[in-house]
Amino acid sequence: MRNDLRDRRAETGESQADLAAAVGVTRQTINAIERERYDPSLELAFDLADHFDCRIEDLFEPADN
Amino acid sequence: MSEHTAPATTRLSTRKRYKRIAYGLLGAGILALWIAIALDRFVLGVALYWAGGLGMGLVQRFSPVDLYDERDSTIEREAGHYTMKLFAYVFILGAPGGLVLAESDVLTLPGEFYGAMWTLFAVFVAYGAFVIYYKYRL
Repeated sequence: MRNDLRDRRAETGESQADLAAAVGVTRQTINAIERERYDPSLELAFDLADHFDCRIEDLFEPADN
Repeated sequence: MSEHTAPATTRLSTRKRYKRIAYGLLGAGILALWIAIALDRFVLGVALYWAGGLGMGLVQRFSPVDLYDERDSTIEREAGHYTMKLFAYVFILGAPGGLVLAESDVLTLPGEFYGAMWTLFAVFVAYGAFVIYYKYRL
């Protein structure tokens, strides 16, 4: 899945570690998601969307779209 | 920003700390085993090694936070999948191939070969049992 996590994080001025701490995963997991090497679970996707106060589909979209 | 930011920050640092404690206990157990073997105190070494392993397990089981996140689980699942795949190739090709070579008097297989094949067989029996178990659970 494609995502704009890196851009949103840049907007809020958070580090990967800050975001990781906020949603309860490791910094490496956030890095892997941003590099689109790891697709988060639905639960984590909800947490990320909740963190950025948006919908999941605003954050993620299928790679072939 | 969501309301769970502060507790999650604490959770992450706690996770790191408990991970270090868990692996530290196992490392201490392994080190104790080596030292005890060097001092010819093998039984004591094994006891300390088991204590280290048990300590690691207890920390993992009773730590107040999850020590591993979902990506760790995914990595573990993928690694397990490919390990089983590799073992399957070794077992499927190795067991009959080795027996044919032995029966044809091309070579004499050492006892370790049969031991390894029985071990792989046992691994696949255990794997199959877990597959069936989870098939009914999930």
